[in-house]
Amino acid sequence: MHSGKPRSVIQLELRQASSTETGGALPLHGGTEVIPLLRAGLLQADTLVDIRGVIPCGIDGARIGAGATLAELECDPQVPAALREACRLAASPQLRNMGSIGGNLLQATRCWYWRLNWPCRLHGGDECFARDGEHREHAIFANDFCASAHPSDVAAALLALGATLRTNRRALPIADLYRVPSEDDRRTTTLEPGELILELEVPEPESSVYLKAMARKQFAFPMVGVAAARSGGVTRIALAGVAPIPWLLTGDLDEATPLPRNAYKVDVATALVKRAVSALKPG
Amino acid sequence: MARLIRTEKEVEGRYEEVWLVVEEDVLQQWPAGARTIVGQPAVRMDGFERARGEAVYTADLKLPGMLHTAVLRCPFAHARVARIDLGPALAMPGVHAAVGPGDSPVLQEECGYQGTAVAAVCADTYAQARAAVAAIDVDWEQLDVLLDPDEAIARKQLVGEPRERSRGDLEAGLAEADVVVEGEYRTQVVLHNSMETHQSVVQWVGDTLEVYISTQYIWGVREELAEALGLPGDKVRVICHYMGGGFGSKNGADDYTYIAIELATRTHRPVRCALTRREENLVTGNRNATIQRLTIGARADGTLTALGGEYVNATGWDGWSSPVEGPMQQLYSCPNVKTTTYAAKINQPPMKAFRAPGFVEGTFGLESLIDVLAAKLGIDPLELRRKNYAGQDPSDDRPYSGKNLLECYRRAEPHWERRHDVRARSTDTVKRGVGMASQIWYGGGGPPSYAWIRVGSDGRATVVTAMQDIGTGTKTAMAQIAAEELGIPLEHVTVSIGDSARGPFASISAGSSTTPSMGPAVRAAAADAKRQILEIAAQRNNLEERVLDIKGGNVVSADGNLDEPLEQVVGLLESAQILGKGARGPNPTGMHVLTFGVQVAEVAVDVETGEVWVDRIAAVHDVGRVINPLGAESQIEGGIIQGIGHTLSEHRLNDPRSGRILTTSLDAYKLPTIADVPEIVSELIDAPDEQLTNLGSKGLGEPPIIPTAAAIANAIRDATGAEVHELPISREEMLRALREAKERDPAGAPAGV
Repeated sequence: MHSGKPRSVIQLELRQASSTETGGALPLHGGTEVIPLLRAGLLQADTLVDIRGVIPCGIDGARIGAGATLAELECDPQVPAALREACRLAASPQLRNMGSIGGNLLQATRCWYWRLNWPCRLHGGDECFARDGEHREHAIFANDFCASAHPSDVAAALLALGATLRTNRRALPIADLYRVPSEDDRRTTTLEPGELILELEVPEPESSVYLKAMARKQFAFPMVGVAAARSGGVTRIALAGVAPIPWLLTGDLDEATPLPRNAYKVDVATALVKRAVSALKPG
Repeated sequence: MARLIRTEKEVEGRYEEVWLVVEEDVLQQWPAGARTIVGQPAVRMDGFERARGEAVYTADLKLPGMLHTAVLRCPFAHARVARIDLGPALAMPGVHAAVGPGDSPVLQEECGYQGTAVAAVCADTYAQARAAVAAIDVDWEQLDVLLDPDEAIARKQLVGEPRERSRGDLEAGLAEADVVVEGEYRTQVVLHNSMETHQSVVQWVGDTLEVYISTQYIWGVREELAEALGLPGDKVRVICHYMGGGFGSKNGADDYTYIAIELATRTHRPVRCALTRREENLVTGNRNATIQRLTIGARADGTLTALGGEYVNATGWDGWSSPVEGPMQQLYSCPNVKTTTYAAKINQPPMKAFRAPGFVEGTFGLESLIDVLAAKLGIDPLELRRKNYAGQDPSDDRPYSGKNLLECYRRAEPHWERRHDVRARSTDTVKRGVGMASQIWYGGGGPPSYAWIRVGSDGRATVVTAMQDIGTGTKTAMAQIAAEELGIPLEHVTVSIGDSARGPFASISAGSSTTPSMGPAVRAAAADAKRQILEIAAQRNNLEERVLDIKGGNVVSADGNLDEPLEQVVGLLESAQILGKGARGPNPTGMHVLTFGVQVAEVAVDVETGEVWVDRIAAVHDVGRVINPLGAESQIEGGIIQGIGHTLSEHRLNDPRSGRILTTSLDAYKLPTIADVPEIVSELIDAPDEQLTNLGSKGLGEPPIIPTAAAIANAIRDATGAEVHELPISREEMLRALREAKERDPAGAPAGV
């Protein structure tokens, strides 16, 4: 494996196109997810391309460079409260100093079966081991095919805030970045090979909040994360850690389909949604 | 004078009768209370070198030409190696040797648990070794797994015979009772997860095997390896200068050492075999899960009439049955007690001792149910505990060498009194409460243990003993004891430890025994040196020895006429030295040497989300004389923090069908973080145990972790009325207990559930 530093996004795409033999090229930003996945053998690459020079960074009003770190976002007053809190409650200070918001949106599930490379459905296999196995940290929505839970606090906040993304190919609402994995397509994002998130547009809400339940007081992925944001009189609620993708709550939490050992997540989510909604400033 | 005695030796609750050669302990104990150096807070003498990264742990060691090892471990909970070919591994770049089943007794074809060592490869780099292990051609035959401990017992698949301990008549005691409470408690598998993973670096130097190892027992490793290899004891040199934690999991040589020895023998090179964090989470032992089915009977006034327990240790494929019934047998005065303890042999990695093995788990069950009883009787939990105080060991009526549990209870009162204020701070959704639990444990140490001391012509002393400092700061405590006895400043004492070739036999650092075993030997050695110094001073000054003493580094006479710096007295030695030698004397016969304590926890419970916060823990422990109050406080804090992890977040999880382990990294296995640490108030009774050695000191490594879980569970009960029955107290368990409490008493339970 070797690493290189591209001068532009176009050059990066050329690089990726030209090194497809075995592992191909892999963009690397903060590395907090890619490096552990490489070490665990869950990602393969011949070339790691350092994209820190080509991905926009910094925060300018509603526009956030995909290279902005969680540490920058958590303390910038331009950033809506839900996103600031989601960043602050994620990971540890060291990881937030390294991890970019773009990378955070693309992180993989913490499902232990997936992380230990069991031949599960997300890995192209024909069984979800969590459903009949150990699933106390797993999904309570959309968990029929794959019960993995999406671990991004930040994505839930952006979903509630109605953020849009700009890639080197297109602009899309954040909801369109994600897809529930299915029999014929096991991916959880719609990003194409060579497509990179460059920038986010996060409209300023009237009020927003992010609440998080985790297994210890800090440095844990969300058991349940609840983001609520009100814009134009409409309140949107999105959840982290409850479905294979960040989950926009459109109906009632009663519609959840918990597994035998994770029904407690419905109770936790119910309490946090109630609190999040009441924490929004009166409009 | 050396004396041969037949005595009981105890390590972590396991007693055995042994013949021991002991030397008389002729020194009088120092008067109670802080001395000039002993009993005064002392900063760790090796703190700076540890903090600056200068301390060389086994993990830091790089010997010239050293090879690195990776181990092929069975990925299944139960499997047999049907076929294995090491050839492809040997052909990989950088590889020097490969070993498989038959090459070493620790490499096995029959794998009873995930992580069983099967083969190993050493190479120039670890990455090469790992790649080579991946290239080993192996076919596994998967076998049926047995995971349920109750089923294992039903099938009589046990590790050792069930242990029955009985006194009086349990049935009669229950018949006598006005109130009977029953409960089933379960505790989870937790892992030591020492900062420094298990590892050894091994090399042959001539015909001597040098073993650098992260170990709690230099001499145990030496003896074990000498016997296994058929070598004279002193042809095995075991070295451990600094250690990154063990918690009971590093008492033996273990597979990595045997693998390194085999590979070093084959390659004639130094070989490192260091476990990865993932291996650390699989095969370095664990606190095994338990099931505890308990019954308590009491009279209306709170007097216990019956204690019954059926305990199941989910021991794993191997190991031993931890004394989970110990607290029920020993904590309270009760005439009718019967416990049965089973050790289930299941397809899980073997347990190992883990900081007060058995007593942590057993105290959670017993002390939780004692509070249920207190509530049922309408008796204050502290009063109920006082009422059933045991003045002598209730299991065999032997006296204690010293017991200040009532004083611990008295000192706990102000903390316990806070419960009214704490409860009053509850809101609709956040309920607050206070709970307590008692602690009983061993910790007396014992002979044999030896120390030497040399005092140079500069008046400075070096303590020499081949003990290890597991990380608790015992090295500093030894320096304090030597300085106190010699009457010289602490900075004038150096301690040389960690090398079996450079010092006498020293005890294991397990069972809270290092200070009580080693401390008296160090003091005896210092006293021997001091006697010789005073003999010299007496002759030089024409005075009687009995009027002389050493104070603040000066030799002084009782009348004050002589006040001469020590280096002037011993200066004539030039490069020669005064040599002192000391041994640990016997433990008091016919008595139990135990430690005691109580902890009071303050918690908050969010009754809607099931979140539990621990706000404050007050810990009052009785471990005899305190050598270093600063180190002791650190021990208490460390024990409580580890206890909070055990209580609230740590849990090794398995796939329920295959038994394979799912939490193999530190993001999945959740140790507490600093944010999980509450205010900790530490108090020590600090009264020397008058029967025990020339110090009166017991160990403190284990006691502080014992009552933490039960104190938290009882505080939760106080706050919410909910009875938790399982560790860890996850959101799931907390919400379940809240629902159950509401069903039991719809009016009394907090709203929101």
